[in-house]
Amino acid sequence: MAQVNPLSNPKGVKLVCELCQHPAHIQCKGCKLTYYCDVEHQRADWASIHEKICHLLIPLRTPVPFFTSAEERSHSIAQLIQRKKHLIEITTKEAQKLLYEGRHADVIPAATHSLSLVIDVHGLASVELVPVYLLLAEANIGLGQLTLAEEYLSQAYWTVLKSTDCSNSIRSKLHRNLGLLYAAKGEFDESLRHLANDVYFASTVWGTDNIHTSGGYFHMANIFFRQNKMDVADSLYSEVTDIWHTHLKRLVDGQMRASMRSAPGWFEDSSHESLDENEEAEALQIISAICDIREQAPRTQPAKTVKVLYTLTMLYFLTMDFQKARESSRKLLQAIQQIPEDNALEDISALLKSIESKLAAK
Amino acid sequence: MSILPAMPTEDLVFTSLVQRANPPSPVKRLRVRGVKVQRQQKSIKELSKEETAFYKNPLKQSICVEMLRRGYHKSFSELFTLIQKWNALREAGGPGSAIWQQKPLEEQHEKLDQLQHFLTRAEAAQRAGYYEDVYKNQFALAQYFKELGDHWMSNHFFECCFQTAQNIKKDNRRNEAEANANLGLVAEEHGLLEKAAKHYEAFYHLTADQTWRDETGRTHKSVACENLWRIYTLQSEKMLHEKECQKAIENLMKALDMARGGGDKKLEGEAAYRLGLAHISSGNPQTAISSLNTYMEISKVLGDNVGLGKAYEAMAKALESQGKIVESIQYLENFVEVAKSSNLNRSLTETCICLGDIYNTRGNYEKACKYFSEAYETAIPLGEITLIEEVKVYYGIAKAHSMMLPVSRLIEAADYVSMERLHAWKKSRSDMFSDPENSGKQYSGEVLSSVTLSGFNCELTSVNTASGKQEAEAKDEAQIETKENAESLVAPQ
Repeated sequence: MAQVNPLSNPKGVKLVCELCQHPAHIQCKGCKLTYYCDVEHQRADWASIHEKICHLLIPLRTPVPFFTSAEERSHSIAQLIQRKKHLIEITTKEAQKLLYEGRHADVIPAATHSLSLVIDVHGLASVELVPVYLLLAEANIGLGQLTLAEEYLSQAYWTVLKSTDCSNSIRSKLHRNLGLLYAAKGEFDESLRHLANDVYFASTVWGTDNIHTSGGYFHMANIFFRQNKMDVADSLYSEVTDIWHTHLKRLVDGQMRASMRSAPGWFEDSSHESLDENEEAEALQIISAICDIREQAPRTQPAKTVKVLYTLTMLYFLTMDFQKARESSRKLLQAIQQIPEDNALEDISALLKSIESKLAAK
Repeated sequence: MSILPAMPTEDLVFTSLVQRANPPSPVKRLRVRGVKVQRQQKSIKELSKEETAFYKNPLKQSICVEMLRRGYHKSFSELFTLIQKWNALREAGGPGSAIWQQKPLEEQHEKLDQLQHFLTRAEAAQRAGYYEDVYKNQFALAQYFKELGDHWMSNHFFECCFQTAQNIKKDNRRNEAEANANLGLVAEEHGLLEKAAKHYEAFYHLTADQTWRDETGRTHKSVACENLWRIYTLQSEKMLHEKECQKAIENLMKALDMARGGGDKKLEGEAAYRLGLAHISSGNPQTAISSLNTYMEISKVLGDNVGLGKAYEAMAKALESQGKIVESIQYLENFVEVAKSSNLNRSLTETCICLGDIYNTRGNYEKACKYFSEAYETAIPLGEITLIEEVKVYYGIAKAHSMMLPVSRLIEAADYVSMERLHAWKKSRSDMFSDPENSGKQYSGEVLSSVTLSGFNCELTSVNTASGKQEAEAKDEAQIETKENAESLVAPQ
């Protein structure tokens, strides 16, 4: 942690803090090219992203030596851009990961890095900016800084509006974030409009009954729920449950078949599809929320409760959380006695058996 | 956050809006519900976000978003899937297919509007549990697309109606019956007779004990009977075509039952007639006669001359195959009478030929000639050359047969009078042998044979060139005679 005095900087050189752009007092000892106004900011940056990119920043920030031939010059420029792109990839991925982990405050330095690099490489009006804006906005919503989030989202929205070649999945994501923002601000109509757009765009990419579309449905359902339009909310929650139920059922069936084929226990067939991190987190959030709602509903609907509990159990099973799977399966068994006839009973008991066996194997 | 670019100013936003605000089509301009009037008074800066989105986005998106926003997610997914399926069909068809020429669904604004309207209403009703209303809305959509001639869509909604109708239990399953009838109709249009029969049978069973009537006041039951009759008849026709007589007859029996159940005499007659024909072709004339009798009586009661004619003809055929020629002739003569009185030229010609043929084989050449000439006269106005030619040949054969007897008698007699007579006939070539008084004269056989031989050659050439109509007309008379000659030459050998 080398001290820097702004007054002793060479003439014309202004060293500014990496995070807040104020005059810098501290220099990073790793790269010797990154400056901070105080220890707070250095720690924040280190925890978020600087640890991973410290050495990568060196070639970017050292002044380019003068090359005599044009070929060399163009080569060095191309190399620089290549490096920046690589860095963008790393920072964005890191920010995304931090976001899944719920460390909203740590997301911001990483995402800011990514943003400045993207602007550097692609320019101000490119679509590549949108995912980064969305990251920043999401983090800010998580931190409760709605005004800032709105600013980022407006930027993203504006970029999407201007560009003609924006993919529908990005549009869908943007509208979902806008919807969530307005929902947080309590502007339900506006929020519904954006979420509807989200569902529409997601459907054009994945189809109406895909898990990627279900998120939009779920947030819409929440808003209808808060608006006390219970019938609409109920129908939407059922839709979401159905979508996840079908999807997870397919995965579970695949896994069951795989485990039947191969020797159980040590040899896991990795060829079948599974949920990725993002989907897992989303599924857990959505399904447990619906489960709570079903259980706390004043008028219980046993068939629907059973379905959502079954889905939850499958989810825990797939995420290898067998303890929780056992808990929810107990609830499921209780609930299933309230409905007269269920043809899924066989599947459920098969699932429970394999949960027990996995627990025993541990 | 100074690295962020400055927020775009309002002016920029609106200049971009002005460029995009021009509605792309007149239809779209029309369907700005109520917004339009307000819009004219507003300056562009007062447009709300919804309005700008409406101008900016394609109509499909606007409609989808509108439905979702109001919570009708099922309608949304239905509409969306429909459009996707349609596009998939179009892709599968490829350029050049019929569906490729059609306008995509998402560009047909009128249809999208209708879909939105009825689908959302149906969903609202479904949420509230009013399945009758769901049915009504889906049915309205099906009707709408049927009127527009969009069969793919109307079929889809008829299917939906059928699904919905199975949930309605209150009205003695009337809606289910109607949905079955509609689906039957759809299947029939697609030529899926089995499926159509299944749906119509369901329709029939559901309506059997009810007194429901449709808009025109007909009972559903009679409609069901008529439909089933039609399907069974079509099925049996197909089976007859594939030479499965027994199955066809079974189906026709069912058709007859249906026609009886429906209480429509005309259909019953028709069914009986077809059954009779099927029996004839399966070689069972006795059974055929009884069903043909039924048809005859019904036709008499209804005063249906055409039907009566058909009945006589079929009856004659049945009797003929049983060997009862006399009765058969009687029926045919009856038919000729009927046909004359009701101007059935085509079948009259055929019957006359048939009668002539019978008389010809039975040796009654005079009558055979009479019927053949009648056939010829009725055939001329029909203007079918092949038919006319056929009749000509028949007529010639019969004429020759009738002349054979006197000519051979004259030759056998071989006296001077006979020779004279043959000679005279050869010169004039008119039919003088039918006149019994002149039969005393005799001519030389050798002369006759040379004459007939030349006539035979002449006939050959005339037949070869007969394709030209005028030529055929011009040679009409000559040909008849040459044919006579030819026949008289050929027959004795």
